[in-house]
Amino acid sequence: MWSTARDIADGDTVIIWLTRDFLQPLTVTAGKDFNSKFGNYRHSDFIGLPFGSKVGSRTGKGFIHVLRPTPELWTLALPHRTQILYVADIALVVAYLDIRLGSKVIEAGTGSGSFSHSVARTIGPSGRLWSYEFHEARAKKASEEFARHGMSDFVTLTHQNVCKDGFNLTDEADSVFLDLPAPWDAVPHAKQALRKDRTTRICCFSPCMEQVLRTVSALNDAGFSDITMYETLVHQHDVSHVPVLPPISEVAEKLKKAEGIREVKRQRQIAAGQRTHEPHGEKRKRGEGDDDGAEAGAGAGAPGSAEPEPGKRLKTGDEVATTETVSVVPTTATAPAAVSKISVSKVVPEVRGHTSYLTFATLLPPLPASALEDAKQEPDETS
Amino acid sequence: MATQKPSKSTRIRPSSFHGKKAAKLHRLLRTVSLGRLGLFYANELIGEPFGRTYDIVNKKLKLLPPRTLADIEDTDATNELINDGEFVQPLTGDEITALKQSGTHASDIIKLQIEQHANYSLKTEYSKEKYKKRKEAKYSKTFTTIEPTLFNVCEYWFNKDRDRVRDIRIDALSQILHMANIRPGGRYIAVDDASGLIVSGILERMGGQGRLITISNTDSPPAYPIMVTMNFNDETVTPVLSSLNWATADETHTPLVPPVDLSPDQIKSDRQKSRINKRKAALDLLNSNREELFAGGFDSLIIASEYDPWSILERLVPYVAFSGSIVVQSPYAQILSEVQTKMRALPQYLGPSLSEVWLRRYQVLPGRTHPMMNTSGTGGFILHAIKVNDDETATGMAGFRRHKGAAKTSNGTTPTPGASTSTPTPVPVVVVAEDDAMDDIAEAVMDDMEPEPST
Repeated sequence: MWSTARDIADGDTVIIWLTRDFLQPLTVTAGKDFNSKFGNYRHSDFIGLPFGSKVGSRTGKGFIHVLRPTPELWTLALPHRTQILYVADIALVVAYLDIRLGSKVIEAGTGSGSFSHSVARTIGPSGRLWSYEFHEARAKKASEEFARHGMSDFVTLTHQNVCKDGFNLTDEADSVFLDLPAPWDAVPHAKQALRKDRTTRICCFSPCMEQVLRTVSALNDAGFSDITMYETLVHQHDVSHVPVLPPISEVAEKLKKAEGIREVKRQRQIAAGQRTHEPHGEKRKRGEGDDDGAEAGAGAGAPGSAEPEPGKRLKTGDEVATTETVSVVPTTATAPAAVSKISVSKVVPEVRGHTSYLTFATLLPPLPASALEDAKQEPDETS
Repeated sequence: MATQKPSKSTRIRPSSFHGKKAAKLHRLLRTVSLGRLGLFYANELIGEPFGRTYDIVNKKLKLLPPRTLADIEDTDATNELINDGEFVQPLTGDEITALKQSGTHASDIIKLQIEQHANYSLKTEYSKEKYKKRKEAKYSKTFTTIEPTLFNVCEYWFNKDRDRVRDIRIDALSQILHMANIRPGGRYIAVDDASGLIVSGILERMGGQGRLITISNTDSPPAYPIMVTMNFNDETVTPVLSSLNWATADETHTPLVPPVDLSPDQIKSDRQKSRINKRKAALDLLNSNREELFAGGFDSLIIASEYDPWSILERLVPYVAFSGSIVVQSPYAQILSEVQTKMRALPQYLGPSLSEVWLRRYQVLPGRTHPMMNTSGTGGFILHAIKVNDDETATGMAGFRRHKGAAKTSNGTTPTPGASTSTPTPVPVVVVAEDDAMDDIAEAVMDDMEPEPST
């Protein structure tokens, strides 16, 4: 498929990673430029660099990463011609259909080729992928793309409506993947194309439950067994590096300290009030009372309270009168410790909630005639 | 049995595993015991395709047709008149046991139970079906062979003992194999403390082509018990898989080995000579495996380990090629969160991302399709990053906004694309389509994306 050499050569396909959500495919062509909002580059700058290199722009502002294509990166970067399959669905389908080196696989429709590239990687040149697309322009584009990616030797693209015209194959495929609006119409054709000398498998990819139900009865009618259905998703997590959450004892200490300060202040006000009964003193006292709401009983004692300077307005701030509050709050408790941090994760706020239902079924080799005779003679009473 | 001989792996052969109960078939053993279901002759199964269902009758197998989905007529029946605790089944447990011992077929026992069941006719058709299924599962001696595909083997081990596979469910396993870009001919490093599930997946996808070096915590080669259930043949494993341990995978460590270069007069017997030759071969192999690892350039690193993943990354990432994938699995998000935070601080890790897999299976029956009532709560977490060749001189787009603004005010036109003049003057930054391929994405993203450094 793609280059496996260490370094990028002229003509190679690369994936340009601009940001996590913005990847672009590029065919490296000496003499061409690559311009993006992350700077301007010459293709010739990439040639000779190892795949996976960070490249600074010619102006020195901005950089990009030039990566080796993989089917997974291709899925993120490819030009969308249709709704595409993503890695979670592709991976589960490839595993269930038991696609591996040398497998013979049918795919319809080709769409944007996201699944095709993944299958091509797994089956290798000794395998075979027959891909069908009923939309002519899309078929042509996909065909060109497969050729450009060195897949033409073992990937065949046919412009054909498989629901009407089938696959032109008999007893050849190990597995079939149908991503069609009406897969039930293609099920009998799929049965014809599948090998009968071993257990083979089919997957139908449909977004709607109604499609699933029709597909299930078509599969059952065609003699497929072990019909089952899955739904799979990926939940990306946001990771944050945050300070360890403070214990409530910290906030309790703060509150206690504030309480102590308030009490000291109240005592001062009382003392000030008692010393003089000047008319403007009354006024001042009322004003302060409004400030901090300390209107407790005036007769309370004031342990250890020092003489405040008359006329000096007190604040509730932390720095005030620490000498007086020592007895109430030990200052050591408020000494800041070194902030330790932890990593926490949660699912990102918005995730893909549904892609499609994956309906799987198995086609067993036909039973030998003798077994069928037995089954007729002794019909299973319980089913 | 088929007269035509299909490819080896598609048929049950001696020593292959099958069933939800893994059982190994040996011709020599002659019989296979399936517990409650009883015994049968192994030869009955050898040469059969996978997936068929059998009834055990006198240690022989009777082939059954595959079960099809029976359409069930909907009726007006409800459970209105069915009460719990009512005496509905006059057939006693002892009587049933006696019937079983007398060799009465399961279907006949069930038929009898249905006939005697007081409320059977009140049941809905769905409920009747469920009742029969339950009874069948209880009395029948049928079993189905299941092909040991990666999917089935993973499901079997996950259901059997998910701790041993570190919560790796099949959706997670398949995603790991894809994220690590496992392909025939690739070169990989794996740390598999999940009983060999990861190694099995990688080996199957490599198909006997390429190299896989695993690092284990054992002195002798690791056991990887799951590999044994994969029906691998020698060509799939031997040329591909080599194992080192955390001591031999340490470049600064010199393995202590007995001397192998003895002068001829020191060798006293042929036995001693052959022993020394063996030892020498083992040492040569160890040294060549170490050299291969230390030479680096591996396509991906896959980790599912009981040890601190960061310590593993520090040791093994230097051996991964640029653009290679690093995939770390853990049953715990917290562990991978810590790793991701550390990765983000180092520019050699591109786009570290933590994800959680989600899988839901459905019961699909006509008129009764719904998600399974019970399902696995977790399939594990996956952290993926790409190793890149950092260029410290390349800087981000700081000052980009100012630059862009200036460009806009001074010059509304776009620069000529493909200009081969080497003028180093700053060019206004715009996306110019180079390739049909990128047209629509570029335009779509241009509109709503804020410039940010490409990390």
